[in-house]
Amino acid sequence: MSVVFACLDADTLGGIQQVTHTLAQGLAGRGHDVHVIGLHRARSPFRYVDEPLYRQHVISHTPMDSRSRPARWAADRRLARLLGTMRPGFAVMTSPGMVTRMAGAVPAWLRPIGQYHGSYEHARDCWHLGSIRTRYAELDQAVFLSRDDAWMFAEHALLPNAWSVPNPLGAWPEEVSALETPRVLGVGRLEGVKRFDRLISAFARSGAPPGWELHLIGDGGELDRLRAHAAQEGVGERVVFRGRVPAAEMPREYLDASILAVTSEHEGLPVVLLESAAHGVPAVAFDVSGGVRSAGPVLVPPGDVDAFGQELATLMDSAQERRRLGATARATAEAFRLDHVLDGWESLFAHIER
Amino acid sequence: MPDCTVVVITYNDAARLPRAVRSVLRQSLHDLEVVIADDSSTDETPRVAEELMRADPRVRYLRRHANSGGCGAPRNDGLDAAAAPYIMFLDSDDELPRHACKSLLTEIERTGADFVSGQISRLYEWNGRMERYYPSLFARRRVVEGIRAEPELFLDSFTTNKLYSVRFLRDRMLRFPEDILYEDHVFSTELYASSHRFAIVPWVVYHWRRARDRSSISLSIKEMENVRHRVVAARRSDDVLRRYGAGDLLPARQERFLRQDLRVYLNPLPTRDRVWVKEFAAVVRPYLAEIPAEVLHRVDPMTRVCCHLILDDRIDDLRIAASSLAGSKAPPRAAVRSEGRTYWGTTVAAGMDITGLRLAELPFSASRLRHEVTEITADGDRVRMTVHTYDPFGALPAGWKAFLRAGRVKIPIEPRPAGEGGYVSEITFTPRASCEPRIGFTRLSDGHTTTDRLMVDPGLRPIELPGANVRTDGYAAYLRVRSRSHVRPLLGRIKRALLRRLSTPGNKLRCYKALIRLLPPRRNLALFESDVGKGCTGSPRAVYEEVRRRGLPIEVVWSVAGDRRAFPAAARLVRRSSWRYVWTMARAGIWVDSHGFPLDYPKPRRTRYLQTWHGQGIKTIGFDAPDLRADFDQPRARWRAAVARWDALVSPSEEFSRRFPASNGYTGPVYRYGTPRCDALVRGTSRYDVRERLEIPDGRKVLLYAPTYRDRAKGSGVSVRADLELMAEELAGEWVVVLRTHPVEKYEVPSHLRYFARPAGSYPEINDLMLASDALLTDYSSVMCDYALTGKPMLFYIDDWDDYRRSERGVYHDLPAIAPGPCVTTTRELIDRIRDLPAAHASCADRYAAFRELWCADERGDAAARIVDDFFEARFIKERFIKERRVS
Repeated sequence: MSVVFACLDADTLGGIQQVTHTLAQGLAGRGHDVHVIGLHRARSPFRYVDEPLYRQHVISHTPMDSRSRPARWAADRRLARLLGTMRPGFAVMTSPGMVTRMAGAVPAWLRPIGQYHGSYEHARDCWHLGSIRTRYAELDQAVFLSRDDAWMFAEHALLPNAWSVPNPLGAWPEEVSALETPRVLGVGRLEGVKRFDRLISAFARSGAPPGWELHLIGDGGELDRLRAHAAQEGVGERVVFRGRVPAAEMPREYLDASILAVTSEHEGLPVVLLESAAHGVPAVAFDVSGGVRSAGPVLVPPGDVDAFGQELATLMDSAQERRRLGATARATAEAFRLDHVLDGWESLFAHIER
Repeated sequence: MPDCTVVVITYNDAARLPRAVRSVLRQSLHDLEVVIADDSSTDETPRVAEELMRADPRVRYLRRHANSGGCGAPRNDGLDAAAAPYIMFLDSDDELPRHACKSLLTEIERTGADFVSGQISRLYEWNGRMERYYPSLFARRRVVEGIRAEPELFLDSFTTNKLYSVRFLRDRMLRFPEDILYEDHVFSTELYASSHRFAIVPWVVYHWRRARDRSSISLSIKEMENVRHRVVAARRSDDVLRRYGAGDLLPARQERFLRQDLRVYLNPLPTRDRVWVKEFAAVVRPYLAEIPAEVLHRVDPMTRVCCHLILDDRIDDLRIAASSLAGSKAPPRAAVRSEGRTYWGTTVAAGMDITGLRLAELPFSASRLRHEVTEITADGDRVRMTVHTYDPFGALPAGWKAFLRAGRVKIPIEPRPAGEGGYVSEITFTPRASCEPRIGFTRLSDGHTTTDRLMVDPGLRPIELPGANVRTDGYAAYLRVRSRSHVRPLLGRIKRALLRRLSTPGNKLRCYKALIRLLPPRRNLALFESDVGKGCTGSPRAVYEEVRRRGLPIEVVWSVAGDRRAFPAAARLVRRSSWRYVWTMARAGIWVDSHGFPLDYPKPRRTRYLQTWHGQGIKTIGFDAPDLRADFDQPRARWRAAVARWDALVSPSEEFSRRFPASNGYTGPVYRYGTPRCDALVRGTSRYDVRERLEIPDGRKVLLYAPTYRDRAKGSGVSVRADLELMAEELAGEWVVVLRTHPVEKYEVPSHLRYFARPAGSYPEINDLMLASDALLTDYSSVMCDYALTGKPMLFYIDDWDDYRRSERGVYHDLPAIAPGPCVTTTRELIDRIRDLPAAHASCADRYAAFRELWCADERGDAAARIVDDFFEARFIKERFIKERRVS
């Protein structure tokens, strides 16, 4: 069976791409004939897998934002030609934009699958929901990140073909955090959508015992605003902006953390939540999506900063509670180990073949 | 063993059978079988079925020896032959959407239900439109623990939109009756009665195809036999329920009969002749007579009236009443009022009570007249007709004049009192453009007009005229003119097509960018825009009037996006986003607006942009608002660039200056002179007489209800959260609600509430509404800050406060803590507060004062004058930098 993954840009540094290459390598390892197609070349290509067992194709060697209409038509022709050479199997289109662009060109012997990496709530608030409603119902399967998401799309986009397979964890750590460093961790781009302002406020209102710090990993346009906000909330000294940390060093960060906090406006299935759980770090998160719920953090109603602060306080106060929830988190994270997720994909393939 | 059996029943439908069968063979579920159950067709069906079998081994063919005359017998044949554990039924003229089988199969396996029911959708073959059948029944994906949990599901009596466990059907010995047409009604009643667990899915699982000329059983409703069968099916269904000891469900089943089965015949009743109606009434009467009065009370007033007319054998009245069921629900010919209640017809009788429609209490311009065309003929290129006008609720005043409007043509007409009541008009007109002609009556005392369409005999044959025809369609049978489309000359068509091709947003922007590079802006040309072109109001208008009052040598052009009537007659207008608009943007040396000129358009280098902003309040804005907090960076970059165009910002208050510039990344000059928009509020000057324009009866107080929109549901109408129905019941004697919805919101006041609630979403000047009102009801709208200037009471209906502040939108202030009036979360509570308004208002006096101090301290009534001093006059002396200055 061949499995074709298609992204708008398959070699850009990003969440969708990370997941796609992990799955591609995993499925290839199980004997599938796997291809990863990128419609555009990234400005600075990133190499996800050192020795890929799958084939990679780039359709246009120009970056995404420099396209003219004739160039687009030519690219569409090249894409159709490439798809024509594939053996029977499945074509996974990884975003609504990709489905719009490609669904018409998928040959009959490739069963079309539309994937969506955002939450239902995110789709609802932008053009994605309309696009998914009209385009994904035509495909053989629409795949979402969690059961709740699939359910919501079935109800609100009237999809008869909604299914769910979670994102996989890249690696399974042997070591878990001792949960003794007095540190709350927040990870993500410093942009509005992540709402680190709320995390800072929650941290400030939690009455964190002396010694506890909030470490924010990531960079972005909001840095100055957030710094000012932290000062205003009276925790300027205790919020540490760590900047970007390479992926290879992230495990160290999890091991040095006692609590992970997710205060985003929107999240699909955040990889940080899975990775921290795998490292036995308990998490507190706003209940913003089925994906977040599936990872099993302590849930707080979206936007309820005071309640978030209280949950942080509870965990900061009790090492025992942290250890209890940390162990549960690691157990929950089991389900996201690559092997389980690959099983999920293979049973999806079997379902399509029924 | 296949996963699913699909039984396709057919009778003499060889032409369409392959389409139905192929829709099954194309299913995303591959492992299935098709059983063609042929009710002994006499056409090509056996040969067609043979071919289908040859082409795909999954197809089987069963043929009855003699025709059964119904759908029950072939379905039973299919059921007996089914090899799979699950079964579906399909009619040979319909189709299954591609995922129907697999999605239902997955659901029944997941839930272990006895059967799964999905959305059925009508597909109109002549225009390809799809219409879902009672979508609210299927909206939630769920498992229902027996019909008793949701008796309204009796409305879904189809057998085709379901996948059944064959074992369940066989164990319970559920079979289709073979001796009646509506076997599915009886079958589904028994199905519901026997199942304790079934599932519902929201997606479409069945396409019920409807052709215009169809002779399928369910649509041959003209046949009296058909009516009889439907009544028999209803009786038998009731018997089934009794037999299963479910007599308590009878009312729900009977309600289905009234809401659905009966309406199938009542809606087209005006198209039937008297004999048919008489017989129809005789057929359904005995069954109707058995239905208890309280079940009749559950249906809408006009259906109830029809039921009583059937029971009383009032055939002529029944035909008139039925014409009010469809379309825009025409008023009756006559009505009587007694002790505050309204009755259909000329006598007071309990069954004729139509008070709930509230037709008798409407304001004049919304009142309903009934115009019946009694004669109509062609005369050359003209139409001559006689129209009988009925005024059942006595809406017409002493002095009026009348007209007929057909498209843009308006002809005066002279209705004369008719002998039997009402008026008769002889009308001659020449139909030109396609339209639905309306007759209007204008009240001479105040110029208000009411219009209604013209009803004709539904059997009217189209009247052909040169260039147009006059006809009717639908059961409501309104007179329509259809002009034949004339072919434009070729050159004209090419020109239009070319222009359309060129007039893309992208091309306009490119052109604009070239223009501003080449041409300098004119210093004395100003482009004004308010509410994104929706009106001529707010601060831009106040500034404009001040500029005009001073006679400054500035040429002003207003941007308009829709209704041009609200603009001053002297103003030059350009349509927003038109080529002329693009040209004006490029050439204007002054831009003034209240929201934002098209965001992607850079400002010409020497143009000066006055941003007056349209409101202040507790809601988060700019980069803190949800639309700029999303996961994409592009909107943020776009807004940043748009804000960078502003040269001066009008700030109404210190609080606004504290929040707004920071949250929008604006660092330029800020005017702190108050708000031009609010000058009129401070001075108390109105543009129009609201009470007169909105027809507020004397002695009624005005509650201005102005909710803001919800970010996740713009245009949905959900922002109107207070229960207007309950408010009408409780407050209509003393109050009128003026409903000012937000410009991005769409909400239509239901006709039965129009007597209490006046829609004012597009009323041209909100200041007037504030000045004319006695109190404000809002939720989180910025209108509360302006309203504080009036000193009048405010009420806050904030039932979704937690959701709104935390996730829907986000806020800067704790409204319940600072609100200058009572905050309530239920309509009951709201009504109590309104009844006790003076006391409620007085108890909030301190907070009111603090609120006013926070938002309105700068308002002196001279903001427009001071801003014009600075922005418009000063520049003619010299360009100078404007620093933020405080009011002395």
